[in-house]
Amino acid sequence: MKYKLWQKCTAAAGVLTLLCMQGCTGGPAENEKIQVELVQYKPEAVAAFEEIEHRFNEEHQNIELTISSPNEAATVLKTRFIRGDYPDIIGIGGDMDYANFLDAEMFMDISDWEGLDAIKPVYREMDKALELIPKDGVYAVPYAANCSGILYNKEMFTEHGWEIPKTWSEFIALCEQIQSEGIQPLYAGYKDTWTCYGPWNALAVGLADPDVCEDVSAGKTTFSAEYAETAEKMKLLLQYTEPNPYAYGYNDACTAFARGQSAMYVIGSFAIAQILSANPEMNIGAFTFPANEDESDNILTSGIDLQFSVMKDCENKAAVYAVLDFLNRDDIIQIYLDNQIAVSCKNSGMEIHQQLSEMKPYLDSERVSDFHDHHYPSEMSVDAMIQTYLIDTAENSAEKFLKSFDENWIRYNRDLIRRMNERKEGAEQ
Amino acid sequence: MKKRKSMNHKDRTFLLMILPIVAIFFLFNTLPLIRGAVYSFTNYKGYGSYDWVGIRNYIDLFTDIRVGKSYLFTFKYAVSGMILVNVISIMLALALTAKIRIKSTLRGIYFLPNILGGLIVGYIFSFIFTYIIPSIGTALNIGWMQNSILASERYAWIGVLIVGVWQAVAMNTIIYISGLQTIPAEIYEAGMIDGAGAWKTFSSLTLPMLMPFVSINLVVSTKNMLMVFDQIVSLTKGGPAQSTESISYLIYRNGMGGGQFGFQSANAVIFFIVIVAISLCQMWMTNKREEQL
Repeated sequence: MKYKLWQKCTAAAGVLTLLCMQGCTGGPAENEKIQVELVQYKPEAVAAFEEIEHRFNEEHQNIELTISSPNEAATVLKTRFIRGDYPDIIGIGGDMDYANFLDAEMFMDISDWEGLDAIKPVYREMDKALELIPKDGVYAVPYAANCSGILYNKEMFTEHGWEIPKTWSEFIALCEQIQSEGIQPLYAGYKDTWTCYGPWNALAVGLADPDVCEDVSAGKTTFSAEYAETAEKMKLLLQYTEPNPYAYGYNDACTAFARGQSAMYVIGSFAIAQILSANPEMNIGAFTFPANEDESDNILTSGIDLQFSVMKDCENKAAVYAVLDFLNRDDIIQIYLDNQIAVSCKNSGMEIHQQLSEMKPYLDSERVSDFHDHHYPSEMSVDAMIQTYLIDTAENSAEKFLKSFDENWIRYNRDLIRRMNERKEGAEQ
Repeated sequence: MKKRKSMNHKDRTFLLMILPIVAIFFLFNTLPLIRGAVYSFTNYKGYGSYDWVGIRNYIDLFTDIRVGKSYLFTFKYAVSGMILVNVISIMLALALTAKIRIKSTLRGIYFLPNILGGLIVGYIFSFIFTYIIPSIGTALNIGWMQNSILASERYAWIGVLIVGVWQAVAMNTIIYISGLQTIPAEIYEAGMIDGAGAWKTFSSLTLPMLMPFVSINLVVSTKNMLMVFDQIVSLTKGGPAQSTESISYLIYRNGMGGGQFGFQSANAVIFFIVIVAISLCQMWMTNKREEQL
């Protein structure tokens, strides 16, 4: 029996409609779960979050958690915010994006969530320090931290008998030593300007006051005074990197380090995964950047790489808190840590990855301080300014750079400084 | 007067065809433009609340060194690019309309860069500039070739220009080829009889007849070159030392990524006016030179 085309089409359409209707009517009746949506900004951790999502939904009958990990999440989120479309929880870094979102009053105060006590105070303080205008309450749950310092090729170090430097002069002596043996001490990927922040943050944390940005905004000091030594040492490092580091980007530098083209690489712990993907066999170690002449002055750069905030418009506080409770269970955190070689922000003595073991004493005693660039407005492009300064061969380049740092800071933070002054005047009256 | 009021059937059909396009154009082009212009009077970050700041953004624009530098770079790039693109594509078009073998295949090959995406081309060239050319330079011991051109504060823009021109030539060549085919053979015969040489034929016959296409190409290539974006993203990201930050790259980077939505909207409004002015100016200049048969 032959059907005509239109008959077939009608039949197909009918079947489809039926299927749809079944889907629609069958859906809500049995599925009265509370929906919680989480958007997090690390697409490289998508595998970990898929597992977390799966396990959560298995354990919870009445809540359905959806986690998405888009590329360029900050931009995705901003576009959604413009439309007034908010997820329930967002996972972002403890940086200027967080500060700006918070300043725009987008987050819920979660000080009544019980899990907060288990979070290391040092990371909670870091979040407090990010508030442009100090606020009451708690708006973020620090989840995972990263550390920045010097990654080194362990095999190379044992083979040549090099020792981990503890002071700046030891570090310079080591670089000279490595160079004299015909090996490149450092590799830099300054074509990607943000990698300039690797050594910059490590130096600034060791040499400058942690509140420098706030103090400059308040007119108490200048970057010219506070960052002079950081800038000088930053430039000294160029003697030990490959020639013309502005030709190579982050990926180039990771690959070069992985292939043993340099003994060390000044970058954050987040690069370890990337380096291992280029050379899975590599034995990588990491130590705190010795920025000072006295070992006890050295501080580890460590900041919040991932934290969760609840959006203000969120309707099901109980369900969202259940999600936060689940995320902060040790076994769940471990899924993420194993995937990302990160450090937990929780106070429960979780293991630290062997690559970061030399940083453990600093982490345990909380001798850590946040990345300085977490306080720079991104549109000011401090990373590009640092690159410009490094390329500049003029004698007064440091002076020029610091002067433009001060001038630009005032320019880009004008509205904030005005509000800070208004607030101060308000307090005085 | 009566005649004008009553619309005949054909006119109505045309109107119906054009109205949706106008509506869509208004919705997706004009409306965002107007909204952007409104935001340019605020300190809007792209989300959250904002204040009206009057013309502060516009005053700031003229005192911002970074914006000034981006205009300088963009114009330097656009002027050199426009000249190079048009010279090269006229030459290519002349060669590709000459009586040669495998003409169609060659035309296809020369059109290829236009089909490829700007980002992909950029990443390929980035690799060439960073690794291949320096290694050739090292092997042959040529000093200036040993370093990546993209890492040089002074010459990085030339690297971007090479890629931009390489890609832009394709489209302009096609327009010139179609232009050359509109020139009747008789005038060349007449030129031959008058004893015109190759250069004279080109300058007195081909070029004047080609003028309408030159004016299209000038406007199109200048506009495209002024809007340079893909090449910057894939080759230099505005570096080194912010020497290759184009206006559109700066608008995107700081308006979307940074919190300068309002300020960069003002920048975009000014940039829009500049492009319109330049295009009008070019049309007016080349219109005067067009020859009619």
